[in-house]
Amino acid sequence: MVLQTLLLIGLVLSSVLAILFKDLLRSAIALAAASLLLGIIFFRMDAPYAGVFEISVVAGLITVLFMLTIALTKGGEAAESKAVAIAFPAFFVAFVVIDVLVMRKLLQKIPALAGPAETGTFGQFLWTSRTFDLVGQIAVIFAGVFAVLALFRKGKDKDE
Amino acid sequence: MILLFIALPLVIAGLLPLLGRVSKRVLPDVVANGTLAFLLAASVLMRKSLAAGGSVVALLGGPGEAVNIRLAVDGFSLFMLFAVALVGLCAGLFSIDYMEHYGSKANYYALFLVMIAGMNGLVLSADLFNIYLFLEVAAVASYALVAFGLEPDELEASFKYLMLSVVASAAILLGIALIFGATGGVDFGSVARGLQALDDRVLVGFAAALFIMGFGLKAALMPFHAWLPDAHPSAPAPISAMLSGLLIKVSGVYALTRVFFNVFGLTPALSSVLMYLAAFSIVAAALLALGQKDIKRMLAYSSISQVGYIVLGLGLGTPLGIAGGLFHVFNHALAKSLLFLNSGSIQQATGTRNLDEMGGLAKRMPVTAATNLVGAMSIAGVPPFNGFWSKLLIIMALVQAGRWGFAVVAVLASVLTLWYYLIIQRKAFFGKLDERWKAVKEAPFWMLAANVILALLCIGVGLYFSLTIKTWIQPAADTLAKGVRTVLATWGM
Repeated sequence: MVLQTLLLIGLVLSSVLAILFKDLLRSAIALAAASLLLGIIFFRMDAPYAGVFEISVVAGLITVLFMLTIALTKGGEAAESKAVAIAFPAFFVAFVVIDVLVMRKLLQKIPALAGPAETGTFGQFLWTSRTFDLVGQIAVIFAGVFAVLALFRKGKDKDE
Repeated sequence: MILLFIALPLVIAGLLPLLGRVSKRVLPDVVANGTLAFLLAASVLMRKSLAAGGSVVALLGGPGEAVNIRLAVDGFSLFMLFAVALVGLCAGLFSIDYMEHYGSKANYYALFLVMIAGMNGLVLSADLFNIYLFLEVAAVASYALVAFGLEPDELEASFKYLMLSVVASAAILLGIALIFGATGGVDFGSVARGLQALDDRVLVGFAAALFIMGFGLKAALMPFHAWLPDAHPSAPAPISAMLSGLLIKVSGVYALTRVFFNVFGLTPALSSVLMYLAAFSIVAAALLALGQKDIKRMLAYSSISQVGYIVLGLGLGTPLGIAGGLFHVFNHALAKSLLFLNSGSIQQATGTRNLDEMGGLAKRMPVTAATNLVGAMSIAGVPPFNGFWSKLLIIMALVQAGRWGFAVVAVLASVLTLWYYLIIQRKAFFGKLDERWKAVKEAPFWMLAANVILALLCIGVGLYFSLTIKTWIQPAADTLAKGVRTVLATWGM
């Protein structure tokens, strides 16, 4: 329980740091740390597949992509308004307070799910019971690919 | 057959960039619009097979493998499929000429079809998590389409839309997680049964609040509307038409009503929350629309106001209110798409969206002016156009239920609506023709064709409103009025 709480606090802190850091590189590293902690939490809660995906894809692959982009673009200092620095912590504190209040009420009421109801492996379950999700996954990937193709197309002049 | 509504646009979308290599313009135009026309025909054909049974729940099996794809079609989903295909086809036809100068048409159509597939998937889902998933499919495609022009303001609007949409998605996902935790399932049947067995008002209330926030953001109900007046005007005109005419209704109103009516069961408390939010949206957005100079921005505020009418009717929860709300979904989809397409014609002809700079355009663009008048009168609720009947139904339902306050708000706001649509008419189309617009020409053929089709539909639905209600609206309203029983008994989940 103590370890779990520490992990959760670490997750929230590193997520907040990812938003507050002005330097994009640090921000990306904080995000990677957050997702690493989240992956560990998944493992500890008996969701090894979610943990593996979280750590390998989000903490690993996406962080590499972020770093590459940051290294290749080397933009100037990002100008930020003061409002963000004030509004965000205020919003965050309010959110945490509400979250704690609501969750304390809810947590006792949520019945524990019955043990491993599904038989078979993760892959079997995904393929036989959640097939439609895979169709949706394909569609999301399509949307992402076409979005990148459309947004990074050559300018109008060069197109002709 | 049912899976075709999702699979066909996805497959065609995958092929389009390849076809675009062979032929830059003609082939993508023909293939994309052909697909949309096919979907329209399929939804009309499906009505016949549905008429007998009332609903179809299809469990698809794969070749040799156990594959579990459960899709559900009933009056409500079929009505939405029909609306998506109809307005999608008109926006697609308009794009043939309008998207010419943007370049990369094949990619544009690919994104367009992915958005259609996302909306169709959402409408056919019988599972909370699938709703979330297809919501994201349509949303991701729409972010790119809003920014398709690649101008700085378009990118900014798209980014703002993206950020607020992510908040909505997070709220929806958290709500689904809570429901899953409490009931142990995500498909409509087990959630509906689980919630009936579970007597926990705090948990259900909190999940409902998350859904109202999430789907309300998608539907741009006030106070969750901030992204819409930026995102909708910045997009290319056919995309504005799709977003305002369809996307906010499918990913906002449809998802909200499906979950609250058929899965949660509408409680008096939920009904009041929805009605107060709706009344606030109607009035505040109408007042904000009055002050706009940008024609598309005015139309965007009008969308928020009209979504208010829809939610007001649906939130009331009586059979008449539901029918009125759903009829207004259809009418607003037709009329608002028409108005956004019109504004695209004007923008392409004059290069401006500023109402103060226009004037007298009716002399140069008579067809655009005439169709715009039809759309404006329809949304403002002037008889005999279609919008009049749906607003009348909503107001009658409010009076019937004894909610006089809401009825008065709805009538008065309708006057405001007429007021700002008359501002558009006066500033853009009537008055003296400005020197600058002497050389302005009427829009090209396909743009006009799309406008004329939509205008004729507005008039036709207005004249034959009882037929429309009987064939499309009433079956949809019935499934909602039956509440949770739709999912548990009729669908047999």
